[in-house]
Amino acid sequence: MLYQQSVMDKIREIAQDCQGAHSSFCNARCPMHTDATRYIEQVGEGKIKDAMITIREKLFLPGTLGRICAHPCETACRRNTEYEQPISIAAIKRYVADKADDETLWDVSKKASSGKKVAVIGAGPAGAQAAIDLAREGHAVTIFEKLNVVGGMMRVGIPEYRLPRNIIDFEYTYLTRLGIVIKFGVEIGNEIRFEDVVKGFDAVVLANGAHKGFIPPIMGLENRGIANAVDFLRAVSLGDSDTIAQGRVLVIGGGDVAMDCARTSLRVGAKQVAVASLEGEEELPASDHELKGAVEEGVVFSHGWGLDEILSENGRVKGVVLKHCIRVFDSEGNFSPEYGDKKYTIECDTLIFATGQHVADATNGALEQRGGGRYVADQQTLATSVDKVFAAGDCVGGTIVVEAMALGRKAAISVNRFLAGQDLSVDRDFASEYAFETELDIPLPKDVTDLPRKHMKMLPPEERVKSFVECDLGYDEATAQEECARCLKCECKACMKECIMFNDFTAYPGALFTQFLKDGDIEPIVAYSCNMCDQCTLVCPKEFKFAELFGAIRKDMVKANHGQSPMPGHKAINMHQKLGFSKLFTVRIKGGGK
Amino acid sequence: MSRKAFLPGCALPSYSPENVAQCVKYLKSKFPDLSVVQKCCGKPTSAVGQAELFAERFGGLVEDIKYCGADEVIVACQSCMKVLKGCQDYKTTSLWELFPQIGLPPELVGKAKGSKAVFSVQDSCSVRDYTGIHDGIRWILTELGYQYEEPERTRATTRCCGFGGMVVPANPDVAMRVMKRRVDDFKTPYIVTYCAACRQSMIKAGGKAWHILDLVWGPVVDTNTAPPEDVLASPVKAWKNRYRSKSLIKKAL
Repeated sequence: MLYQQSVMDKIREIAQDCQGAHSSFCNARCPMHTDATRYIEQVGEGKIKDAMITIREKLFLPGTLGRICAHPCETACRRNTEYEQPISIAAIKRYVADKADDETLWDVSKKASSGKKVAVIGAGPAGAQAAIDLAREGHAVTIFEKLNVVGGMMRVGIPEYRLPRNIIDFEYTYLTRLGIVIKFGVEIGNEIRFEDVVKGFDAVVLANGAHKGFIPPIMGLENRGIANAVDFLRAVSLGDSDTIAQGRVLVIGGGDVAMDCARTSLRVGAKQVAVASLEGEEELPASDHELKGAVEEGVVFSHGWGLDEILSENGRVKGVVLKHCIRVFDSEGNFSPEYGDKKYTIECDTLIFATGQHVADATNGALEQRGGGRYVADQQTLATSVDKVFAAGDCVGGTIVVEAMALGRKAAISVNRFLAGQDLSVDRDFASEYAFETELDIPLPKDVTDLPRKHMKMLPPEERVKSFVECDLGYDEATAQEECARCLKCECKACMKECIMFNDFTAYPGALFTQFLKDGDIEPIVAYSCNMCDQCTLVCPKEFKFAELFGAIRKDMVKANHGQSPMPGHKAINMHQKLGFSKLFTVRIKGGGK
Repeated sequence: MSRKAFLPGCALPSYSPENVAQCVKYLKSKFPDLSVVQKCCGKPTSAVGQAELFAERFGGLVEDIKYCGADEVIVACQSCMKVLKGCQDYKTTSLWELFPQIGLPPELVGKAKGSKAVFSVQDSCSVRDYTGIHDGIRWILTELGYQYEEPERTRATTRCCGFGGMVVPANPDVAMRVMKRRVDDFKTPYIVTYCAACRQSMIKAGGKAWHILDLVWGPVVDTNTAPPEDVLASPVKAWKNRYRSKSLIKKAL
């Protein structure tokens, strides 16, 4: 049926501007779009099993990510932007995983076999995610892993005191349950040639990570007692007890990897550990949690110092000269340190560089590499210049585990389209495949106050440094509940909490009117169920006047229905109104005489 | 002084002709040249969406007001208030705003001082922006000697009683749920409304509700008083009342 132009304009405006579909801040910022607001609500209601299912809809590594995710969601959290006290989203996830993860809850369903074979190079988070998604699409997936263990950098980069290995192993059993074959100890370019992998499979996902420690060029690196962070952490993770971290250890770097090296050094017998970072204390890239852990454990910091010279004796490092760093980035934000005149010397027996990780080429030069050795690939589809080959994870971009997973998923979407002979880009919502900025713009709920974040209990520092036992003890039930209760449940469903009838017909008005535009019409019962009380408008951040709109829609419906309401129940109103205006029941009496 | 016309509306005459007659008598005592028009303002027609029919019907009411030579209309119904407000030819005043200006009959002041009933006020959602009306209702309660309390959603944030928008005949199930929700909002068992339809909604949803005029003109309500019966539920009784209201108005003038 035909509606007035003004009605259609209003409907279009609501369909477009209603915020009902906008993601919460945490959800939008998570590259995997984990539904944190939902599982936090479920934990708050004591529905921990439901929360587990919610998390597993997106993440196959809940216990792992609950411990080591760099949680960009928490940065985006409204309680962070308002009060700098974000919800402890990762810790809540860990609580759920520790308490309720259970193989019987895992969704191991998959589509019928496609007859296609896909190779994944690397069993880190990117490779594993790609393998999972492709296996569930019905493809036969084989992972080639250089090491004899799963997990990639989570396994050999992140120290065990942050992430116990049994958790990784348990969570990776999901892959085997999906029928994914993992070939351990197979290094591409060594045991098998890259070209042969490409030849032998219908598609390849390259996810070999960035496992080459980078050290900026400086004289004296040939001396004994010097290592890069990647090699050092890998050796410790793989059980090498004869580590390089002896006596007084100096770590160069200011990120979480530097913290990992410092704290690991303490645990393998270093007498003293210091960290020198270019960045000042305020700009340190390390997360607050890791920095705090290091400080508590006795790591000493020299903030704002860069390496000037390596001092050595008899072929072994014996100290360094540091120079004062007065600026790390130039005005355009490029890394371009500038130094002052001040210098000082630190003695040390071991020097560890936590100054970056590069990609070791696994393609024998088949793919072009850019800064840091990252493969050149299409940023949206992750397709490379080699037919059939897609790249994911650290080897192509992203810096944290959950980003690697999102890239793995992105590559899998591309591979799936490629195998089906479809275009890689048509009708694809690329924004939803990675973190994005939500358009949600809502006022803080009334009566919200700044409540402090609940921290997990930790082992005392003197206990921690004795072994690689996990430091964070996780939440107990009461603390988890209290933390969940702080969640502001950021979403725009304000009208839905006010209006009973909206809930009978839609999830939010934007959806209702989008459907209207699609159908060109709406069921009369919807327009005629509005009490016209304006409660929706009172709470709508856009102040949409739904009562007015439904009133206008009713007018058009009446016009199209020969002047009568389309609602059968309104027949009675006709008679009622006729009587209300009839002489029998009306009277007018003019006062004050004639 | 302005020439006033009193419009009791439709639901109030159908609910209680006595309340209408008492109002007419009292207003007449204050404004000797008072006119009265008992007729629907056409709000139901408008709400259903019958725009042309509404224009015709409302036009008839405006004619009646003109016939009376009134330049100020006193309304006892919130729908009338909203519909008539749009008309620039005369001033529209709610009866509930007028009472604080002219006072209650002196013999009624403080009559309920001994009552232990504590009322919750149900503000009509159609006048959520009319602070003067909200104030007037509270003034009347206090003047009579009744105690009252405000629900969490009150005055400008009041909730619909479920009757609005002609939803009852169109989608009675939704209307009933809205009614029940509103009754559940109130912390006291006694509810006072200033709309006969609101009162009916509260009764239908299991509440104990009185119209403010029941409290003004009727016997003192205490904790053991039952609310007046839901006469609007019976069309026969309602139309009989409306007819009786017409006769009582004539008699009172």
